[in-house]
Amino acid sequence: MPLNWRKWNAVIHRDLGYLCTGLTLIYAISGVAVNHIHSWNPNYTFERESTRIPPLPSKEDLTDQDIIQILARLGETRVHRSFFQKSRDEVDIFFAEGSATSINLRTGAVRQERPRPRPVLYPMNFLHLNHPKKIWTWMADAYAVSLAVLALTGLFVLKGRKGITGRGAWLTGAGIAIPLLFLFLYL
Amino acid sequence: MKSGYVRVLFVMALLVALAVRAHAATLKYGAELTRKEVTKVSDIADHPDRYVGRRVLVEGTVVEVCAKRGCWMDIASDRKYEKIQIKVVDGEIIFPLSARGQKALVEGVVEEMAMTYEQAISYHRHKAEERGELFDPSVVTGAQTLYRIRGLGAVITD
Repeated sequence: MPLNWRKWNAVIHRDLGYLCTGLTLIYAISGVAVNHIHSWNPNYTFERESTRIPPLPSKEDLTDQDIIQILARLGETRVHRSFFQKSRDEVDIFFAEGSATSINLRTGAVRQERPRPRPVLYPMNFLHLNHPKKIWTWMADAYAVSLAVLALTGLFVLKGRKGITGRGAWLTGAGIAIPLLFLFLYL
Repeated sequence: MKSGYVRVLFVMALLVALAVRAHAATLKYGAELTRKEVTKVSDIADHPDRYVGRRVLVEGTVVEVCAKRGCWMDIASDRKYEKIQIKVVDGEIIFPLSARGQKALVEGVVEEMAMTYEQAISYHRHKAEERGELFDPSVVTGAQTLYRIRGLGAVITD
């Protein structure tokens, strides 16, 4: 019995397509999100609050004890992770998960910033931008190869007028011409 | 046949979980650290000519991280009020915002950034925008030369 390559092509295209659906959606959604990184932050939202406390005496070298007292004045109950004194008057105090409170001792101006990872986009970007590295790199490579296989097998799913020898040829040509056009314009 | 697919999906989910778990446990970024001797940030600030183009290992508290891309972070110097920027190639290393306040050991090459007045204005405006702060142009009084480290690898710990 001769090997029906077109049948196997369709099977591979169909099943690989099912398998890639999840990752394709993740990469597509995250791709749009990070594509516009200049105009928004795709990973975090920030809760920023500016308040004022009575001015405090400036100090050459703040200590942990000073920071604890400053936080008590602010009514801050969280335990600080560390702090950085930017000048005699300015100090940044850090908490878990990257939260920070900046205080100007001389003016009493306080600025609190709490980053919140976006619930859906943060994990999507985490995978899309390959933050995990390690085994995920291989998974992402396998996915990339799968996309190439999907593209190639997709060319030969149909035959005839709507296949690669008919309408498919025009659409495939257009799909290749679009990136070439932009390369010509911008490169 | 069906149970075969279920197995494949299960193994894939397991691999993803392992990869994510491995990331959470390790806070290593980029290349392995090769230098053993730590160079003081204050020493780089005092004698930049000795260090430009040289590979160094520095340590300090992470005091700021690029919130959008994680493509740079500032670490505090051993000397008060001083810090140095660690810049990495976008996408090659991504520092998490949660690193703020943690300790970092960073290896990289010291770079010189000579900026005209206009470039310095643009640079500081961009930094202020990233922090969500209003930019005060009066903080820039002329051309500036900044020294930073092109980060190659980092280990961040609590």
